[in-house]
Amino acid sequence: MLKVAGLSKSFPTPEGMTKVIDGVDFAVPEGECYALLGPSGCGKTTTLRCVAGLEHADGGTIEIGGRAMSDPARGVFVAAHERPIGMVFQSYAIWPHLDVFENVAYPLRVQRPRLQKAEIQARVADALALVGMQAMAARSATRLSGGQQQRVALARALVRRPALLLLDEPLSNLDARLREQMRNELREMIHKVGVTALYVTHDQAEAFALAHRVAVMWHGRIVQEGEPRAIYRRPETPFVATFLGAANVLAARLETRCNATEGVLVLGGSATARLLVAVPQGCSPGDALELIVRPEDVEVLCAPPQDMHNVTPARIAWMSFQGSQCECGIDVGGAFVRAMVHSAQDMHEGAQVWLRLDPSRCILFSKEG
Amino acid sequence: MTPALSAVRRHGELDLAAKLVLAAGALVAVYLIAAPLAMLLLTAVRGPADALPFEQGAQWTLEHFRAIYSDSVLYTRIIPDTLVFVLGSVALCFVIAFTLAWLVERTDLPWRDLWFSLILFPLLVPSVVLAIAWIFLLGPNAGWMNVWLRSLFGLEGTGPLNIFSMPGLVACQALALVPFVFLLLGATLRSMNPALEEASSTSGASPAATFLRVTVRVLLPGVLAPLILALLITLEQFDLPLIIGLPARINVFSYRIWYELTPSSGLPNYGGAAAVGLPFLVVAMLLLVVYNWLIRRAESFVTVTGKAYRQTRFPLGRWRIPALAFVVAYVMLAAVLPTLVLLWSALFGYAPPAIDSLGKMSLAAYGKLAGNRLFWLGLGNTLLVATLSALIVTTVGAVLAWIIVRTRFTGRRFLDFVSFMSVGIPSVITALAVMVLYLSMPVGIYGTVWILVVAYSYRLAVTTRISRAGLMQIHRELEEASSTSGARWLSTQRRILLPLLMPTLVSGFILLFITGVREFTMGLMLYGQDNVVLSVLLWRLFESGEAAASAALATIIIALVIPIVFIARRYLSPRGYAD
Repeated sequence: MLKVAGLSKSFPTPEGMTKVIDGVDFAVPEGECYALLGPSGCGKTTTLRCVAGLEHADGGTIEIGGRAMSDPARGVFVAAHERPIGMVFQSYAIWPHLDVFENVAYPLRVQRPRLQKAEIQARVADALALVGMQAMAARSATRLSGGQQQRVALARALVRRPALLLLDEPLSNLDARLREQMRNELREMIHKVGVTALYVTHDQAEAFALAHRVAVMWHGRIVQEGEPRAIYRRPETPFVATFLGAANVLAARLETRCNATEGVLVLGGSATARLLVAVPQGCSPGDALELIVRPEDVEVLCAPPQDMHNVTPARIAWMSFQGSQCECGIDVGGAFVRAMVHSAQDMHEGAQVWLRLDPSRCILFSKEG
Repeated sequence: MTPALSAVRRHGELDLAAKLVLAAGALVAVYLIAAPLAMLLLTAVRGPADALPFEQGAQWTLEHFRAIYSDSVLYTRIIPDTLVFVLGSVALCFVIAFTLAWLVERTDLPWRDLWFSLILFPLLVPSVVLAIAWIFLLGPNAGWMNVWLRSLFGLEGTGPLNIFSMPGLVACQALALVPFVFLLLGATLRSMNPALEEASSTSGASPAATFLRVTVRVLLPGVLAPLILALLITLEQFDLPLIIGLPARINVFSYRIWYELTPSSGLPNYGGAAAVGLPFLVVAMLLLVVYNWLIRRAESFVTVTGKAYRQTRFPLGRWRIPALAFVVAYVMLAAVLPTLVLLWSALFGYAPPAIDSLGKMSLAAYGKLAGNRLFWLGLGNTLLVATLSALIVTTVGAVLAWIIVRTRFTGRRFLDFVSFMSVGIPSVITALAVMVLYLSMPVGIYGTVWILVVAYSYRLAVTTRISRAGLMQIHRELEEASSTSGARWLSTQRRILLPLLMPTLVSGFILLFITGVREFTMGLMLYGQDNVVLSVLLWRLFESGEAAASAALATIIIALVIPIVFIARRYLSPRGYAD
């Protein structure tokens, strides 16, 4: 449905030309929702704007529904208003001089040849019903809450039945509670319509909840792409691992290699913390490694277990009560590990505990790569 | 994406319609400003004196400069008179305007709403109206105030006050300039975030220390910028120096240009006028550069968001009465008494009010005016020229602003510069330049209202700035959302941008319309057979000794612009003063 290949784009900055997009390739099949996820300045929004036709790419091709939209090498550029798209903007861009109905009707009113009045009425009513705003059609756009603006923006983007729906950080202007609620509603609405969608966000929870596939972008490139679960569980670089949610990054050293895939690690230089884990290929004893483990994957025990496999004694350095859970900072022979424990558990700062790390939940990277 | 980057992002593809509209706007802007100035330059270096640059027999020469700058009058009279006039009136104006602005914006002065409207009065009426009213009040022989003062103190002869003197001219110019500076200073005072002062207080600074270390430092650029602008405006003043200064033999720069064009004997000296004008223009441009630098600094200090803060008001306490007296004195001198003296003179004749003259009320002056062909012609011309030039300037300014804000067109900084430059071009110079240009061009608009429309339309800076600020407030995603909804560029401009920008455009139009009604200099210098405007007619009536008729006309002009006070106030004050 959407095919982007070799996309590149530079902007002039005081320091010269800066590559904002540097060879981006991806494809979104019909009916899927695809998320571009990355920190601000990674080029995700520029990529989206190139797809929308609001920005000119310097190189590469963009195809929507098999039709070339942008291909600078061949001099192809289809203007934004001629692309079969609908877009939801970060600011929603609800026109303040038009009421809700006219905002949603706009894409139909500028359509040529002109549509019948009755058809416009019917399609706007359908779009408003889809987002649950049918009762507010006559309301002035300046008297809408953030969540309502968001719904109108979505109705406006969908009313002309676009081949491709583009969403630019659509939830970032809402407060935390409303964002969670709208996230679920947005997913319902997009999936109900079954439209192909490209979604840009810096929030991994949004990307995971909404998208069938997620691409993590950094410095103008896609560094990893896959299904949400796969990306979260099997990050291919330390950047992806740390960007997708909280993670402990621990310095480690390979002590001995047991077989082709496993070896014994020493954490933080202390002899007390020894782990038997899968290690990257090509590592030899003495090599420095980075061990990444998510706080929810660290098991904290009050007493030494029977099976001392991958268990190491440690001490609780600090605790921070967060309601259902407590976040702990745990001192493992000089290295600090963050972990989550159930708040009902009887633990206190300074207490002696034992940590168990599940080797399958640990990810190791060679320090130099 | 950082704001710096998004600001230079190229907009989606501009279609042919977009390119045509933008190119036309840019060309008109450059033409309106650059063509006359280029002509002015040429005039200064082509001779002989009474020839136009491309007339037969004209050749390259520096004779004009030699003649003008070897004349000792320049150094003994013109430069000293100009300096005293400009510095004196700006200093006086600043003291009055700052006091008024502070009282209205930062204290609990009563009836601030009323004062705000009344203080603006001199900004709305042509200075010729004010000048004539002040002459009626302060003329050495029959001026009302002098008659009162003489009877009060049992004095004989003329005086004691004489408006036809340097102090008189300086005072009048200062009073006339106050509202403009008042508005700018008011904006500066409003834009100061009170949290800055509060942060100083909570850091342990005394009120005096806060005022000196924070308030003054933050406000300084925003106070100096209007000062520079006031210097610039006073430097180009022509009407008051002509009406009040000339009888006192005061000779300022702008008047000198007029003198070269209308010598008591002989032919107009175009080259000499241009040679006087050029350095005058250079000084104005230098002031403009300083102003621009200050305003950037001021913006980086306070008005980043341009939003008005709710100010903590200083309680006046026992200073309430003196403060009120000060405001009332200004309003009386600049608005109330001038209106009364004109109305009285129109109805009862030019003599100080007395009970027994009440019976002699007559509408004869108005009747005479109504029977005067020139009055109706002038009224029509004034409305036509003010409306058309305001329309042109608003439209071209909006297009320029769009190019500057929304595109990455390489020449957009140049366009910004050209439009901004128009602030620094004295209207005397524009009139001279336009005169020479259309005397040389075979288009036949010289002496018609159309030359006035073209000449008045050079003031692009105000509308460009206003539209630019307006455009920056309109999130570009509002336009992009229209593109991604399938609308073409022209359709987006018509359906989305124009309605959103309309309040801005209306306020720009009103400002320019008022400027057009007030304009006197260009109307006088480009005066021809059928293009008389009301301000020029007023001066002609006054000069020919028709006191009652000129007073009647002045009251009509006031009645014409007063309704605008109420419309304009909604746009000029960012919020009501009812708090």
